[in-house]
Amino acid sequence: MFDVIVIGGGHAGAEAARVCARGGARVALLTMLRDAIGRMSCNPAIGGLAKGNLVKEIDALGGLMGEVTDRAGIQFKVLNRSKGPAVQGPRAQCDRDLYASAVQQILADEPNITIIEDSATSLVHDGKSVSGVILKDGTRLDAPVVIVTTGTFLRALMHSGEVKTVGGRFGEPAAETLSDSLRDLGLKLGRLKTGTPPRVDRTTVDFSKLEEAPGDAKPRPFSIVTDALPLPQVLCHLTYTSAVAHELIRANLNRAPMYSGQIHATGPRYCPSIEDKVVRFAEKERHQVFVEPEGLTHPWLYLNGISTSLPPDVQDAVVRSLPGFENAVIARYGYAVEYDFVNPEQLDPTLQVRGVDGLFLAGQINGTSGYEEAAAQGLLAGINALQKIRGSDPVILRRDQAYAAVMIDDLVTQGTEEPYRMFTSRAEHRLLLGCDSVYERLSPVAERLGILDDERKQRVEQRIARMQRARDAAETSVTPDRETLAWLNVALNEKSSIARLMQRAGFDLAQFTDACENVLPEVAEAFRALSEEESDGVVSQLRYAGYIDRQQREAARQADEEGMQIPADMSYGLPGLSREMVEKLSFVRPVSLGQASRIPGVTPAAISIVRMHLRRGGNRLGDALSS
Amino acid sequence: MASELDTIVAPATPLGRGALAIVRIDGPRSADILEKLSAVSPDARLATLAQLSLDGEPLDECIAIRYAAPHSFTGNDLVELTLHGSPLLVERVIAAIVECGARLAEPGEFTERAVLNGKLDLVQAESIADLINSRTALQARLSLGNLQGVLSRRAAAVRESLLHVISRLEAALDFSEEGYEFITRDDARREIEHAIADVEALAETYRRGRATTSGLTAVILGRPNAGKSTLLNRLVGSDRAIVTPIPGTTRDIVRETIEIGGLPVTIADTAGLRTSGDVVEEIGVARAREAAASADIILYLVDASAGLTVEDELASYPDAIVIYTKTDLALAPQGALGISVKAENGIDELLNRLDAIVRDEFAAAAGSLVNERQRQAVLGGKEALATALVALDAGLDEPVILVDLYRASTSLGLLTGAITQEHVFAEIFSKFCIGK
Repeated sequence: MFDVIVIGGGHAGAEAARVCARGGARVALLTMLRDAIGRMSCNPAIGGLAKGNLVKEIDALGGLMGEVTDRAGIQFKVLNRSKGPAVQGPRAQCDRDLYASAVQQILADEPNITIIEDSATSLVHDGKSVSGVILKDGTRLDAPVVIVTTGTFLRALMHSGEVKTVGGRFGEPAAETLSDSLRDLGLKLGRLKTGTPPRVDRTTVDFSKLEEAPGDAKPRPFSIVTDALPLPQVLCHLTYTSAVAHELIRANLNRAPMYSGQIHATGPRYCPSIEDKVVRFAEKERHQVFVEPEGLTHPWLYLNGISTSLPPDVQDAVVRSLPGFENAVIARYGYAVEYDFVNPEQLDPTLQVRGVDGLFLAGQINGTSGYEEAAAQGLLAGINALQKIRGSDPVILRRDQAYAAVMIDDLVTQGTEEPYRMFTSRAEHRLLLGCDSVYERLSPVAERLGILDDERKQRVEQRIARMQRARDAAETSVTPDRETLAWLNVALNEKSSIARLMQRAGFDLAQFTDACENVLPEVAEAFRALSEEESDGVVSQLRYAGYIDRQQREAARQADEEGMQIPADMSYGLPGLSREMVEKLSFVRPVSLGQASRIPGVTPAAISIVRMHLRRGGNRLGDALSS
Repeated sequence: MASELDTIVAPATPLGRGALAIVRIDGPRSADILEKLSAVSPDARLATLAQLSLDGEPLDECIAIRYAAPHSFTGNDLVELTLHGSPLLVERVIAAIVECGARLAEPGEFTERAVLNGKLDLVQAESIADLINSRTALQARLSLGNLQGVLSRRAAAVRESLLHVISRLEAALDFSEEGYEFITRDDARREIEHAIADVEALAETYRRGRATTSGLTAVILGRPNAGKSTLLNRLVGSDRAIVTPIPGTTRDIVRETIEIGGLPVTIADTAGLRTSGDVVEEIGVARAREAAASADIILYLVDASAGLTVEDELASYPDAIVIYTKTDLALAPQGALGISVKAENGIDELLNRLDAIVRDEFAAAAGSLVNERQRQAVLGGKEALATALVALDAGLDEPVILVDLYRASTSLGLLTGAITQEHVFAEIFSKFCIGK
């Protein structure tokens, strides 16, 4: 007997299974292929802009992605270093085999997880709640909660030129019938498309013709539990397409499934195939190709930037037109995959299907793209599944609290028309969502839920205390008459605090701590106790205090709207609401007025009408929703 | 399922006798009600003759036009009945429609529905009221232009330029690894300055826009017996103010509105400026000064036969139009504007002068801001843009600058709707090849 069945062992499924097990639930993890658990289907990298923040959030909530990335990472780099702390995103190139085995190891170490190599052909349900799944041989597996994390596998169809193959990932089958169960439950499904580039045998590439793309000299780990990165750090490379490649692609467009009409589904605008780029941006003379090693010893290179579903002969010619790839041999051809997804407006903010008790969906099935997006959903769906089993309040994070919350709110409120990827610009309060403050924002939630182990808890507490001590120390006043302050190199005319000095352009922390050594030893000590990442965080928090305060006030104001709860059985037949507004509100069924106001096309006037109606009813959400 | 939207009814033309009167029915049941009253169910947008009756009792013969959602003024299903223009008929027909399940509309409810359905933006809705209340052709032209979206488009153009800089700054943050330089700080600075200039130009239109919709005030000032009341009466064309040879006859302000240069101008005749010791007259003089302080135009009269005296306050009103009166008795100084109402001298010249001033300084072009709400939206945008510029110059990071740019977009959005994430993405993905 299980408490939870997790269908799928990808990044969402692994997090969901792990957190439920951590919380004491008995978990069955159903996977079609045990060895494929934790597999990186696309490029061998974790993190990046906004995505890196998601990984940090997962770490702060006790999830596994950050820790696994540190174990498998072979090149770490913080992106946007020059663009301000709020939008810096850590990224790591990973060894794909070590990554998957680290995930498998961590799951194997959880006594509460039973891995079952099988596939769920349908859900057991009575239309109102779910009670288990039916396996391939017709066996029934019972559990009051089912988390579906099937990624791109629902009715998946791969395209490579004119050839179509049923399957969700190269060499792996599709989940053909589960979609029917979801449709039976009245869910609306859509179709999306994604693609991969060719992988090339690294021994056939002349690296001397490529540009080197190194990582950071001082790599920063993702997880708070990592002291040192275990693996050696390697290079990535850059090369570029040319007119020759573009001509080849143009000449063969009729053989590209996206152009021949073979694929109807929508692909992501931010990750177009090379054929798309060549058609839509014909004037561009070259396109960048980021050459990523698939691992320390892995024989393949991943050609990021030329995702394609052109036929193999065209791929061969295109790849061989790249400088350094004249004699390259493709080890696996690029392909596009089309798959079913569930329009996520049908979920509530806990990722539970509205109206089907116990059924949670997480990851690409909800129309997202990316490992990090999937993992964050898996973790939060898992947390809410756990709370459900425990009979405790749901956990709904606020948009000013986590990128993960922005993503889930966007999905369940606005739905998506293309694979949804996290961007910093999606977060209206992004100054509050920098990596530096992630443990303060989220670890207390995880601790309250009992899913943070002692080691992590202790490290989080120490980190928060260290950074707080430094912030407090920065409130120390300095006066202009101290000659020892000559190092400041700026005219200090009146008494000021160190925090204010930090707001000046050109403030240098290292110089500052050196100069403080004798004069203000306790201040120097407080800053020296911090890691480089922590002190960068403290300085930026102090430097942008005014803007951060303002966003916090705005967020607090909005929290009033968020707190105005809309009953689940709300009828929108209110005087003054047009049919269109009624339809939109009735489809999304927002839980709060704040969520209602973010539904696309719902006008401020319509929100006023709903607000007036709610005021008469006077419901307010409890603390459960606020953190 | 939620209950339906109410169906509402109201006369669309004023209640009075006339050839025709129009009654409007809006909402999902409008066509049913027409069919119930007339047994007619006309094709959409086809003027159709209908005999209206209820329970066998004939009501009127009318022309019915049915509009199908969303192609109507409100965006809902809508029916217009053109009846014979009798208040009694209109009342009986409306009563019959209410009996069929409609309710009487609240004032402005049709327009409100049009706004709710996105058929009109707020600026356009405001323009409808302004258009209906227009007293002059120029006012009507301004309001019609704004109803047709001239101001909305102008504000949208500012928003476009803001979107241009926001989307590039965002692209530089979210797609920094693409190998593009989306925007330099210098470019951003230039574009923000450009947006500020646009917003300032828009804010500038308010003075004329307000003057055009609300009309102007002109005040006639001058010493007692300078001929102020005589001029007012002449301009109005009737004996509106009492005229006597006794200085200090006018004590309180007398106001009349006439059309000058296409705008309604309310002219105020005031008590003559002097220290009299008379309590009532002193209050009158204080009121005259007060009225002058808020006037758009000041006509300062000087009796040509008396000339300027120490009691004249010309220095306090540097923008005043100085007019020498009673030129039948004495000549005005060289180059000065002189009139004699009695001899009909210089009146046309004065009127031409006023006409030119109103047209040059107060008449608004289409696309002007006309009310305080619009002005506040624009000023809010300007303030936020200025703050963004300060942050940029102080070397602060892009995410911080964007906070103020979004604030500007939200404020300006009160005119046209704010910039959404999807606008930003659509701009980025259409202009740049993203996805390395």
